[in-house]
Amino acid sequence: MTWMIFSPELYYLLVSLWFLVLSMLPGVNSKRDYFSAVLLAAGGVLVCLLAVRSEGLLFSNAYQIDLFSQVFKVLLALGLFLIVCLCQNVSEIREKHHSDFYLLLFVCTLAMLMLVSSVHLLAMYVSLELSSYALYILVALRRDKDLAIEAGIKYFMIGITASAVMLFGLALLYATTQVAHADDMFRVLPAVIDQPVVILGLLLTLSGFFFKLAVFPFHFWAPDVYQGATNQVTAYIATASKVAAIALLIRMVATAGSGAAGNYLAHALVTLAIVSMTVGNLAAIVQQDMKRLLAYSTVAHAGYLLIGILSMNPAGYGGVIFYAAALLIMKFSAFLVVVKVADDGRNIQIQELAGLHQRSPLLAMALMVSIFSLAGIPPTIGFSAKLFVFLAAMEQGYFTLVLIAMINVLISLYYYLLVLKAAYLLKPDASLPELQLSPPLKLLTGVLILAMIGLGIYPTFLLELAEAAVRALV
Amino acid sequence: MQMAFAEFPYLSCILLSCVIGILMMLFTPERHSQAIKWMAAVFSGITLALSLYLFFAYDRGLGGLQFVEKVLWVESLGITYFNAADGFNLPNLLLTGIVFFTGVLTMWEMQTRVKEFFLLYFVMVSGVFGLFMSMDLFFIFVWYDVSLFPMYLLIAVWGTTRKEYAAMKLTLYLLAGSALILPAIVYLFVKSGLNTFDIVALMQPGTFSAAQQKFAFILLFIGFGILAAVWPFHTWSPVGHVAAPHAVSMVHAGVLMKIGAFGVLRVAIFLCPEGWKYWSTLMASLAAVGIIYGALAGLRQTDLKYVIGYSSVSHMGIVGLGLATVSVDGLNGAIFQMFAHGVMTALFFSSVGYIYDRTHTKAIDELGGLSRIMPVASTYFIVAAMASMGIPCLASFWGELVVFISAFKVYPFRGVMAVAALVVSALFMLRVVQKTFYGPKNTQYEQLPDVPFRLGIPRMILIVVLVFFGLFPSLLFDVIDTATIPFINGLP
Repeated sequence: MTWMIFSPELYYLLVSLWFLVLSMLPGVNSKRDYFSAVLLAAGGVLVCLLAVRSEGLLFSNAYQIDLFSQVFKVLLALGLFLIVCLCQNVSEIREKHHSDFYLLLFVCTLAMLMLVSSVHLLAMYVSLELSSYALYILVALRRDKDLAIEAGIKYFMIGITASAVMLFGLALLYATTQVAHADDMFRVLPAVIDQPVVILGLLLTLSGFFFKLAVFPFHFWAPDVYQGATNQVTAYIATASKVAAIALLIRMVATAGSGAAGNYLAHALVTLAIVSMTVGNLAAIVQQDMKRLLAYSTVAHAGYLLIGILSMNPAGYGGVIFYAAALLIMKFSAFLVVVKVADDGRNIQIQELAGLHQRSPLLAMALMVSIFSLAGIPPTIGFSAKLFVFLAAMEQGYFTLVLIAMINVLISLYYYLLVLKAAYLLKPDASLPELQLSPPLKLLTGVLILAMIGLGIYPTFLLELAEAAVRALV
Repeated sequence: MQMAFAEFPYLSCILLSCVIGILMMLFTPERHSQAIKWMAAVFSGITLALSLYLFFAYDRGLGGLQFVEKVLWVESLGITYFNAADGFNLPNLLLTGIVFFTGVLTMWEMQTRVKEFFLLYFVMVSGVFGLFMSMDLFFIFVWYDVSLFPMYLLIAVWGTTRKEYAAMKLTLYLLAGSALILPAIVYLFVKSGLNTFDIVALMQPGTFSAAQQKFAFILLFIGFGILAAVWPFHTWSPVGHVAAPHAVSMVHAGVLMKIGAFGVLRVAIFLCPEGWKYWSTLMASLAAVGIIYGALAGLRQTDLKYVIGYSSVSHMGIVGLGLATVSVDGLNGAIFQMFAHGVMTALFFSSVGYIYDRTHTKAIDELGGLSRIMPVASTYFIVAAMASMGIPCLASFWGELVVFISAFKVYPFRGVMAVAALVVSALFMLRVVQKTFYGPKNTQYEQLPDVPFRLGIPRMILIVVLVFFGLFPSLLFDVIDTATIPFINGLP
């Protein structure tokens, strides 16, 4: 019964096949596609939850299942479920492509599930590519061809460049160490870490994940892709895709970063973290388009995340796992508002949020809480996440880094407040109708608001889970 | 979770009544605005009653921490939900209760977006209450920000003069303070090696080296000092006070600025006494400059609320001067002054609020002769002005007196300068009173009604408090003594 531990992946594979069949059936029925997607995504969350305690190795030890990977699988499944909930009205994608759209979403999630369990360089690379290819198509699926194709090509070009760089890094690592398995790497690396080629190999390998996470200097795709893709796809890229990249980054750094290797790596990561958050926050200030603003805020968040990773202690990794969960919830809430305000799937300007507090008090409140959470103001989950990461960094003596991060929080507050101002202060140009939310969506919004505040005030459960996951890793 | 409640959790009940109030208002439709106001009045009244009870039930003979509530919150990081009452926070809790309740009553005539206003107002005040009663660094920081972030919307939506600019300036300034406080708190947490955020555990002598204390103290002092309008970080304060709606100005100048001074006391001075002694001369200089600067700047203002704003800067300087003396008297005076200034400023803004709602102007030149048009409203303002000048029999007299006596001993020059500045501030208060309430009548406002009894209630409560503690200051000093004497004697 060892295959039972592989059940989440098998489940998503079967679901993908189901949508493959649907896409080949004659006739278009987007309602059927939507409801089956919601149900199957909910089932996916359930399967991942059931498998959370399983452990084991598969495929000649290239595939490791432990609490660390399983926690991330739950997050990914949850992310997919949330996104699918928003897909009731994906008018920006042609109806006949709807089953393809879900097919790609599920395939991409499958690839990410595999990614978080990979402990072999090749397995890692293959699953990373699988998830990327699904995303390239998803980005280009939008009805508005000009925007979508530009975004798709940009994403593809930068993506494959990052892949090539990463592959080169992997080759360098393999050439020096002669091993491709993470456990072996862990043993061999300390002996050869002084060689420049190893450091270079490590950094180039990490670039693949930096690209996914939109860390400077691999962030150039983010604003254009966020703007060009359909709102739901953007939400998926901003949440689930980030979570997977975070998982792998933690696994790689935890493997390579012990002992002397840590120093070199940490120096590089400190630089990237500082530049990422500063560039992201400064660029976000001038954005008019809501999705571009969120894209730059993602770049900044990648910087904060790196602070936890570069601390290279269990507290830091735990904090980053917590941060990943927080990012999933708060980014999704922001996108929920974007999707609902842009009911016809267009891109929205920040000004278009005007009068939201009248059109839908609930959405306005969700926006307010998610904005404060993204800015890291207590008592929200975003603050707890930042605090845990900062504590870990301070333990390693990075006082200045924490101070710079806090200054960045201050900068980010400025543009977040402008969004809030639009929603609560500005009057809409024309009298817009009230936004109607379906009861299940109202419930979802309420749950998200509660989760953002509740987990901020009482983070114990999630934090303990994150710490347990780290113990499985280190 | 481990819990330890010595007795009925009165302190948590204060927070709980805020939370219940928030939830009830949240689920009341906007159109029942009168019901929402009543809810706000009832729940803020409960907090006032509870804080009054605590103030008088506190055992002065015993002293120390009482009404302790301790719940282990996050075990792996040593975060505890730890509330307690002592001589430092009791006057402030009482002050918050008074200003909170009278603030709700001051806004009784409000019409626009009533529900959202009181929701945010309650969130803000629950943060203030939480901060005053908490003994855990994590929670202090959380409450600090909870009390600040509603300010943006409160000012930007319901404010008046240059409200968007003021709201943004104020929010960014105050959160810049938290950008210094959080690293300092995290630094102290890590350096202590005790894995706890509990202030009582962290303040044991020998936890931090002198160098660490000096470093952390200055960060914390500037961080919290921004909120206490310490010169030169005060510029947000007059602008913010002027733009904010009346009740928010009341809470903001009356209570929120005290949070800053209280944070300096509870976090910086408690944890880093060495740093306190080291930096005290700097604190005294900044405070003295603040007192003088506030008085001189107030002299030139033409807007009633700006006058009060600058006088607040000046009065908060007195609090800072008291804290800088490193003596029992100085601390006593500072805490007394925090209380007295809070009540006095609340009265100021509350009475200006009535006048502004009728005349729609705060410009001193456009008013005039108001004492003959609305004598009662004028009386409220004039009483506040007398308190501001430090007239005996009103509470603020005692705070200023005690601070200046202790300051003369330690910093004679700065003390003399500060007293000289007080003369100037008395001058500008008299000038404002003369121009606004006496002199030729502005006929434009002749038809305006005076304060009806119902609307006068909040102002009368504030005046009663001012006079009561002006006549019986020992009631307050007795409580404060129970905290300050052991604290100063316990210093290494």
